[in-house]
Amino acid sequence: MHISFLIHNAYGIGGTIRTTYNLAGTLAEQHDVEIVSVFRHREQPVFAPSGKVRLRHLVDLRKNGPGYEGEDPEYLRPAAVFPATEGRYKQYSALTDRRIAEHLRTLECDVVVGTRPGLNVHIARQARGGQVRVGQEHLTLSTHSAPLKRTLRAHYPRLDAVTTVTEADARTYRELMRLPGVRVEAVPNGVPAPALAPAEGDGKWVIAAGRLAPAKRYDVLIRAFGKVVAERPDWRLRIYGAGAERAKLRALIDKLGLYNHIYLMGPATPLEPEWVKGSIGAVTSSLESFGMTIVEAMRCGLPVVSTDCPHGPGEIIADGTDGLLVPVGKPDAVAAGLLKLINDDELRRRMGAAALESSARFDPGRVAERYETLFTDLRARGALRGSLHRTRGALLSTAFRAKDRGRAALRKARAS
Amino acid sequence: MTPQAVPEKSTTTSEECTIVSAPPPAFGAGNPSADCIADSAGGLTFDLDAPHGTDALDAAAHWSGALVLRRRGGDEESDEVRLPLAPNGEGRLRAVLPSTVALPEGRWDVHVACGEETPRRLLPGLADLRSLVDRRPGPSTSPLAVRIPYTTKHGNLSLRSWQRAPHAEAGDIYVGDDGVTAHGTLYRVEDPGAWLDDAVLEARLRRDRAVTVTAAVAGEGQDFTATLDWAALCAHWEGGLDVWDLWLRRPDGSEEVRIARILDDIADKRHVLTFPVRSFAAAYAPAQVSPYYTVDNDLSVRIEERPPVG
Repeated sequence: MHISFLIHNAYGIGGTIRTTYNLAGTLAEQHDVEIVSVFRHREQPVFAPSGKVRLRHLVDLRKNGPGYEGEDPEYLRPAAVFPATEGRYKQYSALTDRRIAEHLRTLECDVVVGTRPGLNVHIARQARGGQVRVGQEHLTLSTHSAPLKRTLRAHYPRLDAVTTVTEADARTYRELMRLPGVRVEAVPNGVPAPALAPAEGDGKWVIAAGRLAPAKRYDVLIRAFGKVVAERPDWRLRIYGAGAERAKLRALIDKLGLYNHIYLMGPATPLEPEWVKGSIGAVTSSLESFGMTIVEAMRCGLPVVSTDCPHGPGEIIADGTDGLLVPVGKPDAVAAGLLKLINDDELRRRMGAAALESSARFDPGRVAERYETLFTDLRARGALRGSLHRTRGALLSTAFRAKDRGRAALRKARAS
Repeated sequence: MTPQAVPEKSTTTSEECTIVSAPPPAFGAGNPSADCIADSAGGLTFDLDAPHGTDALDAAAHWSGALVLRRRGGDEESDEVRLPLAPNGEGRLRAVLPSTVALPEGRWDVHVACGEETPRRLLPGLADLRSLVDRRPGPSTSPLAVRIPYTTKHGNLSLRSWQRAPHAEAGDIYVGDDGVTAHGTLYRVEDPGAWLDDAVLEARLRRDRAVTVTAAVAGEGQDFTATLDWAALCAHWEGGLDVWDLWLRRPDGSEEVRIARILDDIADKRHVLTFPVRSFAAAYAPAQVSPYYTVDNDLSVRIEERPPVG
């Protein structure tokens, strides 16, 4: 198969970029795979794509480069195809509209995969007939704004499949969107096996990693760890990551007198060498679209104590078998979970071994196989009824758009 | 006076280090990268890919490769260490830096040299430093070797090296309203218990070495505890920044050792192991006091003016 990914910016840093590289690299072992990046702002991508994956861009934003297009008059005009309801709308323009349209019009491939809502809309509207159209959801439907949900409702009927990273989100899509004939399938993110030996589980360290952002609730983790230290002062906590919350978290650590026990380590890439220094992973988020760090820690042999927040953790951790799920926002519950594993070396090692084993299902090879099966099914189905589905999808799209326009008009009328 | 007593520099070094696995440099930057495994004795093993178009055996036989460590800022013969590269049995090349090879204190840049070519800087690959975490060296009187690989701010591979005998490792530090209490462990002396008996903690004022403040040391085996009062330190303060470097000293002055924190995998403690700042009503003016780790991971105390509110 010839598979073409369309991504916002393959030259930056981020979960979607990393996951796309993983997936594309694995698929490239068997297939012809390219990644098309709408933007390119630097010479080399931060993460290295596999040598078999072709990478190209549509709009050049390399400042001081000969091809810089950031001052093109078309680039300064707003986009009309890329939906205004999308979070990255401001970065898109008449120029991206035209380049993406040209790209899709001339693209020779069997499967075209979009990696964010606005690009999925482009694909739904502009991909060529006969190609399988897949829209990936890397976040969750429920975190999108109502206007964006309406946009997606209008256009997604013309996709062949929408993929989510959790079953929970796939259910939400099926419930909230009317997508007849569109496969909605949960395919988790792939996480490669680490290149290091797994953690031995005898060091007295708890490890957490992620952006220091409010949704990660590291304040809860710090308070929880205060309770751990009161009982087990021989254990310590490392938090890896950078972010806007750093100063606040630092102040909390100092206020609680935990500066000998909790270290803010700063960012680390890759994380595997850091996970294996610990014996327990901790996640206290209030929201995780997937829960990449949980899988990463488990692949390094750590049992993870995680909040049972929407959407990912509960689908990754088998509570009591390869990790522990605790209620969201409760330092006491997090502390109890951590102490359970701290105070029982045998249980901790057993859960670590179970985590190592169960997390193998997230191997990029296994994930790529699921995509491969999905693509193959959709191609077979497309050959039979593709044009019919698309005609119906187009009709539905028009109907929903009319309905949503009606609704918007009604709201406006009410508001005035 | 022991050789480890390197004079403190009041200026910081030019190249800050980030933690060892900071964001990798852009791929394709050209230079090869080395994976690195640390053992708990202070030894390091480097594994790197053989140059393109050769296999490891060929490369070793025909190409006399070496890992070259160069101490930053040094141009003596002792500031370069060459480690032969040999096949590691898994198709890659390996160089070993045993703990017994002396590596004077400092920052060592890691290069790879192929035959007559100019040595090239190595980029960091995977660094498995788990055996450095919570290091607890055994009894011995030979110098303690500590080498921590890290990524420079330019994305290259370097090592921090310490070589100390005796060595006083800082443990938990408690910042109180009246003073700072330091816990630690003494290594690489014949009889730590006897050494610590009657020993004192001595704070030395960096701008005037003649000024010292001492505190009693309580020892238990090789562990020690001592408390320095803010009042004693602040009595000498007359505005600006005062830095006090902390040492352990035998009562007769026969031996002394700088208190430092080096027995783990964190190359640069300054931004990771930080302490709260306390306000203290010094005689001269209201002051801010706090312990901190220097660029060399030595323990010091800083006294300065309270910043204006707002």
